[in-house]
Amino acid sequence: MVTQSAKIMSKPLLERFPFPFTTDSYRYSNNSRKLDPPYVLDITPEYFEEIKLKRELLESRKEQTFQSFPHSIEAQWEILEMIMHEMVSIHPNYFSLKKERNYWVFRNHLLGEEETFTFGDLSSLPYEPLDFIGRHVQEDLVYLGQRDGKLYMDAGQLCFPADWSIAFDLGMEFLEIHNPVPHAFSGSGLVEKVRDFILRIEAEQPWTRYNWTLTIEPILDTAPETFGEWGPKKGNVTADNAGQLVNLRVEDQRLFRLPRSNGILFSIHTHLITLEELIKNKQWKYQFYNIMDDIPNDIAEYKGFISYKDEILEYLKQRIEGSSSIK
Amino acid sequence: MSGNTIDVVVEEIRCESPQVKSFKLKPIDTSRLLRCGGGSHVKTYVQIDQNIYENNYSLINDPDQSDYYQIAIRRNDESKGGSICWHDRIKEGDQLKISYPKNHFALSFSAKHHILIAAGIGITPFIAMAADLRKKGKSFELHYAARSKELCAFYSFLNSVYPDETKFYFSEEGNRMTTDLMKNQPIGTHVYFCGPERMINEYSESAKSYGYPDTNIHFELFVPPDFGPMEPFQVKLNRSNKVLEVPEGETLLDTLLNHGIDAPYSCKIGGCGSCQVDVLDGEVDHRDFFLTDKEKQEKSVICTCISRAKTKNGSIVLDL
Repeated sequence: MVTQSAKIMSKPLLERFPFPFTTDSYRYSNNSRKLDPPYVLDITPEYFEEIKLKRELLESRKEQTFQSFPHSIEAQWEILEMIMHEMVSIHPNYFSLKKERNYWVFRNHLLGEEETFTFGDLSSLPYEPLDFIGRHVQEDLVYLGQRDGKLYMDAGQLCFPADWSIAFDLGMEFLEIHNPVPHAFSGSGLVEKVRDFILRIEAEQPWTRYNWTLTIEPILDTAPETFGEWGPKKGNVTADNAGQLVNLRVEDQRLFRLPRSNGILFSIHTHLITLEELIKNKQWKYQFYNIMDDIPNDIAEYKGFISYKDEILEYLKQRIEGSSSIK
Repeated sequence: MSGNTIDVVVEEIRCESPQVKSFKLKPIDTSRLLRCGGGSHVKTYVQIDQNIYENNYSLINDPDQSDYYQIAIRRNDESKGGSICWHDRIKEGDQLKISYPKNHFALSFSAKHHILIAAGIGITPFIAMAADLRKKGKSFELHYAARSKELCAFYSFLNSVYPDETKFYFSEEGNRMTTDLMKNQPIGTHVYFCGPERMINEYSESAKSYGYPDTNIHFELFVPPDFGPMEPFQVKLNRSNKVLEVPEGETLLDTLLNHGIDAPYSCKIGGCGSCQVDVLDGEVDHRDFFLTDKEKQEKSVICTCISRAKTKNGSIVLDL
């Protein structure tokens, strides 16, 4: 698959991992920050394996991984245009684009691929525009249509979900999508506030937030449709093996206004790190222990790790005691 | 100046009527501008001597245009000076900053039929909206009132591009536009108004009385409506633990900004909701057009750019 890969330079995982916590306690909030620099893409050394996995899932589980409404096509072109322009202006070594009016030639130098198409003409691309551009980036891409003052899930390529389904959510309104979120969050009016906040996002002023959960083994595609494959692994966690089995899963979520369609692009870049690796950073070790120790049960249950929370705490406690006894 | 800006050069100035000029703005540093949907506007920043004039103007170019933006401005002798600067001082080749496009006047997705109603320079947002509707194959009609054909900007353009959809009303010819045009329209019709405050109020009230739901009524104001006196009041800032006096005649937003508080804002006329802040205590005199009546009753928020404390010398507590 990889023929003439330009090398992706990067630091070790521990030095670039987006640790999501800033305090010793975690509760739901609108923890959005202005995104600076205002880019969609984060290209990491995992690019090749993640693109390969993405494309396999898109071929073998198409309905699970890509969904769209016909009225999202204009916005899909807008997303493709936005991402391609970012690709060639920020990563000119990896991608190039030649335009002659509506006739576009796109090259992915990392993968050694070339595609020619007519911008705006669906029949000139092998996939819908969002599905096409999604096959060249590590991020999952979701289009939220802003229709009559509400946000609807109108299209999405979702290969690496943290236990949610684009096939299930397609067409739902923002508040409906978030109904399963625990009452402490959804009952307090916070979902409405977040929705109102997204409705007011402006062009070229994107926002970002980290979301997180825990995943057993480094499995990116934890879709509800395949729960039977990854779900039972939760039963394998013990205080002894938690370091190798349990991964902190962080979603770098970004929100962009699409001024042509007046909708929103929601991108999700998922990062995984084993607890064993994570706690090599001493500050993170203590902070993560305090978070786990403090977390309310409804959040732990919603995030899906309540059944092995005690094992994680025990694992962390041993590592903390072990390190202080050495002192 | 809030937010990012784009440096542009005035490439072409055209007289669209004795009172209206249009300005074609080309980007300087970047090869392309963002395409933006009908109803979008930009804020322009014009510096003349020591003053910077901030004004919002609708984009009248085609929504898929990506190498220039175009705005149209009516010279308003009563204005604070923005339109006069544009008319009297700006020349082709001048450079200025504009904001990225924003859209507080978006077309409805679900409407079965769109009625665009313009008075005077209120025509500007509808030029791009009509183009958008045409491209999407949607059903619409455009009603445009002006004093006379000579004073009617974009008359020949609209007449040639949208002859079937456009209806003109020239008061000097005794042909006045009335709210009757909104009667007997199909269910699912949305109405859009742009013009002076008086006209918007009249058309909103009539639309409601004809049975249009609130959600089907859209309008855009470019100047803040007159709500009577701006009495002084006190504001307590909970997070930064400060107490500020908002003087008579000054907006709460300006007081916050003058004291170095990083308060959000955009339109500054109570239309976009960007400046909303949570109110922890105190009663609010809501003067904005963003919150619905229900939200004004139920939500504890204030649009700082226009709303004030309910009583003279009253006090409100903000989550800032």
